Amino acid sequence: MYNMRLRDYRRYKRQYIIAVTSLSWKTIICGVLACMCIVRVYAHDADTIALAARMDSVSGKPAETMRTLHVHASRPLATRQALSGKELQALSTTNIADALKYFAGVQIKDYGGLGGLKTVNVRSLGAQHVGIYIDGIRVTNAQNGTVDLGKFSLTTMETVELYNANKLDNCQSASEYASGATVYLRTRRPTNDSLSAQLRFASFGTYMAKANIQFARKGWRGFVDVEGLTSKGDYPFRYKSEFEDTIGRRANSDIKYARIEGALFKGGLSSHIYYYYSERGCPGGIVRRLSDKYTNVGREWDSDFFAQMSYSWQTGSHMFKVNTKYTHEYLRYCTDYPENQNTARVNNHYLQDDIYAAACYNWVPLRWLSLNASCDIRYSKLRADLRHFDNVHRLDQKQVLALQINHRGLQAAASVLHQHYKDYTRMHTGAADPLDKFTPAITLGYTYRRLSLRAWYKHIFRAPTLNDLYYTQAGNRNLKPEYTKQWNIGAEWHHASPHWNASIQADAYINKIENRIVCLPLKGTYTWSMMNYGYTYCRGLNATGNVRYNLHDWNFSLLTSLTWQRDVDRTNRESDLYDKPICYSPAISCGITGVVAWQRLSLTVSNLYVSERMWSYADPEDVLKPYSNVDVKLQYQHPVGKKAYLGACLEINDLLDEQYEHIPRYPMPGRNYKLTLSFSL
Amino acid sequence: MKQTIFTLLLATMAHVAVAQEKLILLNEGNWQSDNGRVSYFENGHVVSNQWFRDNNGYKLGDTPNDIIQVNDTLIAIAINWSNIVQFITPEGKAVAATEDVPNNRKLASDGRYVYISSYGHECGTVDGMKYFTKGYVAKIDVNTFKVVAATEVGYEPEGIAYYKGYLFVANTGGYAFQEDHEYETTVSILDAETMQLVRNVDTHQINLYGKMSQSGKYLCINSPGDYYDIQAATIVFDCEKALQGDEDCFVTLPYAATYNCTTMDGNFFAIGSRYSYYTGEYTFNYITIDPEEVMVSMGGPGVKETLPGTMLEDIKKMTMPYGIYVNPYTGYIYATDAGEFVSGGALYQWSPEGILLGKHGVYINPAHFLALPPDGNFTGIEETVPAKQDDAYIYDLTGRRVTYPQRGHIYIRYGKKYIINH
Repeated sequence: MYNMRLRDYRRYKRQYIIAVTSLSWKTIICGVLACMCIVRVYAHDADTIALAARMDSVSGKPAETMRTLHVHASRPLATRQALSGKELQALSTTNIADALKYFAGVQIKDYGGLGGLKTVNVRSLGAQHVGIYIDGIRVTNAQNGTVDLGKFSLTTMETVELYNANKLDNCQSASEYASGATVYLRTRRPTNDSLSAQLRFASFGTYMAKANIQFARKGWRGFVDVEGLTSKGDYPFRYKSEFEDTIGRRANSDIKYARIEGALFKGGLSSHIYYYYSERGCPGGIVRRLSDKYTNVGREWDSDFFAQMSYSWQTGSHMFKVNTKYTHEYLRYCTDYPENQNTARVNNHYLQDDIYAAACYNWVPLRWLSLNASCDIRYSKLRADLRHFDNVHRLDQKQVLALQINHRGLQAAASVLHQHYKDYTRMHTGAADPLDKFTPAITLGYTYRRLSLRAWYKHIFRAPTLNDLYYTQAGNRNLKPEYTKQWNIGAEWHHASPHWNASIQADAYINKIENRIVCLPLKGTYTWSMMNYGYTYCRGLNATGNVRYNLHDWNFSLLTSLTWQRDVDRTNRESDLYDKPICYSPAISCGITGVVAWQRLSLTVSNLYVSERMWSYADPEDVLKPYSNVDVKLQYQHPVGKKAYLGACLEINDLLDEQYEHIPRYPMPGRNYKLTLSFSL
Repeated sequence: MKQTIFTLLLATMAHVAVAQEKLILLNEGNWQSDNGRVSYFENGHVVSNQWFRDNNGYKLGDTPNDIIQVNDTLIAIAINWSNIVQFITPEGKAVAATEDVPNNRKLASDGRYVYISSYGHECGTVDGMKYFTKGYVAKIDVNTFKVVAATEVGYEPEGIAYYKGYLFVANTGGYAFQEDHEYETTVSILDAETMQLVRNVDTHQINLYGKMSQSGKYLCINSPGDYYDIQAATIVFDCEKALQGDEDCFVTLPYAATYNCTTMDGNFFAIGSRYSYYTGEYTFNYITIDPEEVMVSMGGPGVKETLPGTMLEDIKKMTMPYGIYVNPYTGYIYATDAGEFVSGGALYQWSPEGILLGKHGVYINPAHFLALPPDGNFTGIEETVPAKQDDAYIYDLTGRRVTYPQRGHIYIRYGKKYIINH
C-alpha cells in the first residue's frame, strides 16, 4: 500500500539508505562491505627522512612527497590510514570506492554493476557523515549530502587517506573539521613531462580509453586527464536456494561516462578543474516476474563541473591559506519508459550551484604550539522541477578555532567549530529555522620511540540536507541535526630499516548517533516523511598491520586489516530490536593483500572477507551470507626505447566467482576480467 | 466407561472437525526484496508464515497488494511489484498466474470474472495489447485466466467493488505530486458485463486512495488528501443511489479511513490519521461508521469515535497499525501492526466484542486479509449484507467454536466472557 507512492522516490530513496539502517522499510535498504587496510608507514621524527629518502629511491617521487610525509609525520595524532603511489596502483582499483574498501572500518554501499551508486560508510556513522575532500576542499552535495565515489578517478590521485574524525594539520579550513570521518584525496603533482594512454577491455561489454598529458617546468606542474567508458554491465547472476533457482543477467545496469580534468600547481598554488558526464541505468531488485517484459527502467544523467583553487603562503611563523570553489551539478532522473509500468512517469531535473570560499590562518608562536583559525562560507542553490517545489538557497557559515601542542612526545589538539545554516525558500512549507551550533573535538597523544598512543573525542552533527527538509511529500522542515559522538583510543607501532618496514595500529572506538535522520512512513496515513528517529550505539575495533621487505629487485608486501564492530539499536527499550545489531552491519570484516614485485613485474592477490549481516529480524533466513572476495592483479611494464614504456595489466576480480550481495536482491557481479594496455612516453 | 470414552471422543471430534477461524494474511515484505509472504492462521495460531512457499515450493513475489476469494475453489492475489495476478486454491496451491495486468492494485469478483484496477498504461488482452493514457480496469475470465476486456478509468485507479452487475472504481490520481496531471476526485461506474463506463461520480474529494470496504450497497472510501492543504476525509458512498443517478449518493466525513473494514452488522471500522507537511502534525481517529445512518442524516449522526472492547486501547499501543479486518463468517476482529519494519509484524485477534484474544508474530508489513469459510463453502459473503445476529454459539478464547465446554474454563457467549461453574 505505502510502497506505491514511495516507489517513485527512487532517486530520493537512494539517498537515504544508509541513514535508515536500523529502521528499514519498504524502500529502504542499506549496503555494507568489507574492509581491509593498508597503512602507509608513519614516519616519525628521525625516521622520517630515512623513509622518505627510501621511498624516493623506490618511486622516484620528488621532494614534494617528502615534505608531505614530513607534515603527516610530525603529527601522527589522528587515526589515519592511507594508500599512495605504487601501493595504490598495485591494488585492484578503478575508482575511489575500490581503494577505500581496503581500509579498516569502511563499508562500501554498492548496488552492484558498474553504474551503481557507490558510497562509503565509516565506522557505521552513515555516508552523510563522511566528508570527501580533494586537496583540502570538500566535495559537497547540498541536495542529498552523499557523494558518489564512482565519479572520481584514481589515476589523477597521488594519495587516498582516511581519517577518523578529521585530519590534524596546521592550517586547515573550518570545513575540514566538520565531518565525522574524512577522506582526503590528494591530486597528483607531476614531476616530469609525459604523455600516456590506456585502453581497457573488460567483462560485460566494458571498454575504456584514457589519455593523460602532464608537465613540470620552472616550478609549474600540471596535467590534463581525459577518460571515457562504456559498459553494458549485463553480468550474469544466480539465486539458488531450496525454493528458488533464478538465473539471469542484470538488466539496465549500463553506464557511459566521460571525464575530463586538469590541474595546475606552483608553490603554494594549487588549482583543479573537473567535468564529468554520465548516463546510466538504475537497476532494481531481482524479484519474481513471469518474463523479462517489464524491467522498471529508470535512467539517470549526471553532469558535474567544478573549479577550485587554493593558495597558501607563509611569513615567519604565520601561515595563510585561501580556498575557493565553484560547483555546478545537473541531474536528470527519468522513468518514463514503456517497459516501466510500475512507477509514476517521472522526468525530473535538478540543478545545484555551489560557491565556496575559506580563509585560514595559522600561527606558530612557540616551537611546540600551533594556533589555527578559519572562516568558511558556502552558498548553495537547488533548483528542481518537482511539484510543490521552489528554489532553495542555503547559506552555510563555519568558523573554527584550533590549537595543537607538540612537546617532547606529548601531543594535544583541541578545536571548537561553530556552524550556522540558514535556508531561504518561497515554498509553502517555509524554510527551516536557522541552525546555530558549537561542537568540540579533543585529541591527546604520546609518542615514545616507535610507539604512539592516542585518545580522542569528537562531537559533530550533520545538518539536514535540502532533500531532507524540502523534498516534495517527504521533506520535513522541523528536522533537527543528526549528532554523532565518537570516542577512540589507539596505538601504533612502526619499524623501519633499510630492508624491512613494518607497522601495526589498533584503535578501539565507541560511536553514538542520536536523532538519526530517516525516512519513515507516517502512522495511519499513506505517506512518508523525514524524521529524527533512532539512536545507535556502536563499539568497534580497527586494526591494521603491514610488513614490507625489499631486496635488490624484489619487493614483498603483506597488508592486513581487521574490523570488529557491534553496532546496536538503542532507540526504544520496549522494542524487540533494542540492543540488537542494526541491519546490514557485519560483526567482522577483514582483508589481506600480498604484493610481490620483481623489477617491472608485479602480482597482487587480495582477499576481503565480510561476515554475515541480518537485513531484517523478521525471519532467521533474512540474512546476507558471509563472503570472501578474492582479486588478482598481474602487471608488467616493458621498456621501449629510452623513455617509453608499454604496459599490460590483467585483473581478475572475484576469482572464486562467489555470488554475494550488499543489499538483498541486488546481486553483485561474479568473476570478471579486465585487461589494460598502456603506453607512456 | 464406554459412555465416557464416547463422550470424550465426540468432544475431540467436535474440536477438530471444523476449523472456525481460517485466515489468510498477505505480508507485503520489503519493496524490491522479493519477500512478499502469505501467513495462514487457523484457530488461534499461525500455521505458517510462508504458506505459499510451503504449498508450491517457490516464492510469491514482491509486494502482494490485495487478496479475494473468487469462488469455492479459487482465490486471487494481486502481486503489485511482480506485476503478477496469482490464482490459488483455498488450500494454497497455485493454479495460474498472469502478468497481463502490470502495476495491478485491487481486486473484485462476481465469481466468474476477476476485475482488477491498474495504475499501468498497458494491458495484454485476448484482443492483443491495449494502451491507456490513464489507468484502467481489467476483466479476467477465471476459466482461461486471460484478460477478456480492459477499460480506461481515471488516473491511478485504486479501490474496486462489485455491486449488482456494476463495478465501482475509486480513482486516486496519486501520481499527481510527480506527474503532469491533477488528483482525481471521481468514482467510475462500469457495467461489469460490457465493461463500458456508465458514469463518473464526482466526490469533490481528491485522491481516493487505499483500502475500500464494501457493506452491501455502501462503500467506505478513504481520501488522504494531498498532505498539504487538503485534509484527509472519508466518503460513505451509496452504490444504489449512484446507479439511479442521485447526486446525493455520497457523504463526506471529516475523518481519515486509512485502514477500514466491514463489520458483521454492516458498519465500517476505520482508523487513520490526517497529516500536513506544513505543520508536521497528526490527528488520529478511530471510528465506527453506520453507513445507513450516515446516509439518512447526510453526515449527521452515524459516526462513533469508538471501537468494540479494548480494541481502541490495543491499537493505540501499536507501533504502526497496518490493517484491520472482521471475519465475515465469525465476526472475529483482526488488526496488524507493522512494528519497526525490520522485524516481523504482529497479528492481533479480538472477539466480536473486542476482547483481545491474542497477538501472533507474522512477517514484514502484514496488510491484507482474507477469511475462508469455516465449512469450505464460499458464499460470496463479502457481497451480501450480513444480517445482524446474536451469536448463541460458545467459543473459546482463541475463537474456536466449542461444542462441549468444560468446567472451570473461560468461554465466550453472546460476546461475553464467562466461566462454566456447573
